[in-house]
Amino acid sequence: MQSNPLELTLCGISLKNPLIAASGTFGFGHEYSEVMDISRLGGISGKGLTLNGSAGNKGMRVYETPSGMLNSIGLENPGVQHFVESEAAYMRTLGPAVIANLGGHCEEDYLEGARLLNSADIDILELNISCPNVKAGGMAFGMLPDTAADITRKVKAVSKHPVMVKLSPNAPELVAVARACESAGADALSLVNTFLGMAIDIKKKRPVFENVYAGLSGPAILPIALRMVHQVAHAVRIPVVGMGGITSAEDVLKFLMAGAVAVQVGTMTFAEPKAMLEIIDGLAAYCVSEGLSNLQEIVGII
Amino acid sequence: MAIITSNSEIASGIRRMTVSGAPIGRAGQFFMLRVPGALDPLLGRPISICEIDANLGETTFVYQTIGRGTAQFARLLPGQEIEAQGPYGNGFPLNGGRAVLIGGGIGTAPMLQLAKELRASDPARTIAVYLGFREEAYLEQTFEQYADSVTRNIGGYVVNDVDFSLDATYYACGPAPMLRAAASAADSASASLFVSLEKHMACGVGACLGCTCQTEHGRKRVCKDGPVFDYREVRDAI
Repeated sequence: MQSNPLELTLCGISLKNPLIAASGTFGFGHEYSEVMDISRLGGISGKGLTLNGSAGNKGMRVYETPSGMLNSIGLENPGVQHFVESEAAYMRTLGPAVIANLGGHCEEDYLEGARLLNSADIDILELNISCPNVKAGGMAFGMLPDTAADITRKVKAVSKHPVMVKLSPNAPELVAVARACESAGADALSLVNTFLGMAIDIKKKRPVFENVYAGLSGPAILPIALRMVHQVAHAVRIPVVGMGGITSAEDVLKFLMAGAVAVQVGTMTFAEPKAMLEIIDGLAAYCVSEGLSNLQEIVGII
Repeated sequence: MAIITSNSEIASGIRRMTVSGAPIGRAGQFFMLRVPGALDPLLGRPISICEIDANLGETTFVYQTIGRGTAQFARLLPGQEIEAQGPYGNGFPLNGGRAVLIGGGIGTAPMLQLAKELRASDPARTIAVYLGFREEAYLEQTFEQYADSVTRNIGGYVVNDVDFSLDATYYACGPAPMLRAAASAADSASASLFVSLEKHMACGVGACLGCTCQTEHGRKRVCKDGPVFDYREVRDAI
């Protein structure tokens, strides 16, 4: 039987290709399962969870910018318990690897959330220490190496699942944060979350977003995200999952050559739901034209 | 992928675009329209169905050129392709009996297909249409083939023209102040009113949570659970 040139192993989990739906852009799979064949994806990272759930932020939440968008959703989610009871089993039926994304407002929230997730049938816990849209939470843990390492170590101690730490591009010393998470036992890293940005309504003479700042994603951030993935992938030994503005198979190849073993796609799914499926086809065609027996052969060649 | 068959201005800053090949929807639903392959603007724009010709397989949209996305639509020519993802959203309920339709500005667009479906579902019913515009009317004549009466208001408050005391189902789409006025009038008269809401959204399918609102029954997504709601459910979101 012909082997699948796109398959890879991440945190001991077999993925049929390196395409993972990014957290916060795919719900838990229900919505896009109605418009495309999501079983073809390598993995799905579910909507970011917080221990007790949240209604999210008030006011404007999404706002398009040149080749990108700002969001200030604020982790609207049904809570970890609801996920464990009602969503995890559904996600398992879909086929792609199941990744639960866990955010938190304080250390105890993270740890209790991780404990609850132990009873869920998931493949990877993505530890979100990088959401820029929740006050006194999320990103605060990911800004400095010490706090990032501390929460990583503690979550690793209670979680039975592999832990992939999702990093913020807003950290002043991103590579130091990445190294600290690796030292603290992270099984993998994913980056980048959104860049803190801003929009101003000049007619109303006030910020577009109630939180003033919001997270920038989309093709506009790709070159910066690619540079950060390159830096981090060359500084750590654990696998790196790259993301930031990917719209095409060519973009995925850039991230893989920069050192990522897999990628996540988010904003482009909003624009074109089937983009990830077209990317998978494009990567398969690339393997044929380049004569690669496995796409992983190009990982980190730059 | 849909093909544009016409795309022309019908009033200042208002254009009518007809496409063929888009899946057939129903009144109150919308499509995410996008120029194929475009990365800037990147996201689709939610544009409601204005009229459907099921025999020709054509869907007509009436849109206002207000930003870079709709300005890009305005430059598209007949014969060119446009991505029409959808139809999305729940659509209007076609209740029996008398119907009163209230449209404000570009919110008049979805009322046309609603009038058409209401007429088709019951040729004998009474349909009254009220249209409000800031300066210039459009679509008015098109309504006349489906409605028993079309009342136009330019520069005033269209809701003030409407008698909410009838035994009828009221439907409204338009700017938030208009919907609030309609809700308030419906309260006073205990009228049955459905409103179509509009919010910024990125995906149109219920995944991004950019358009959620607080309702009587928890948080709901305007794109997926709406855009049409019983006004009592979304009173705080109007």
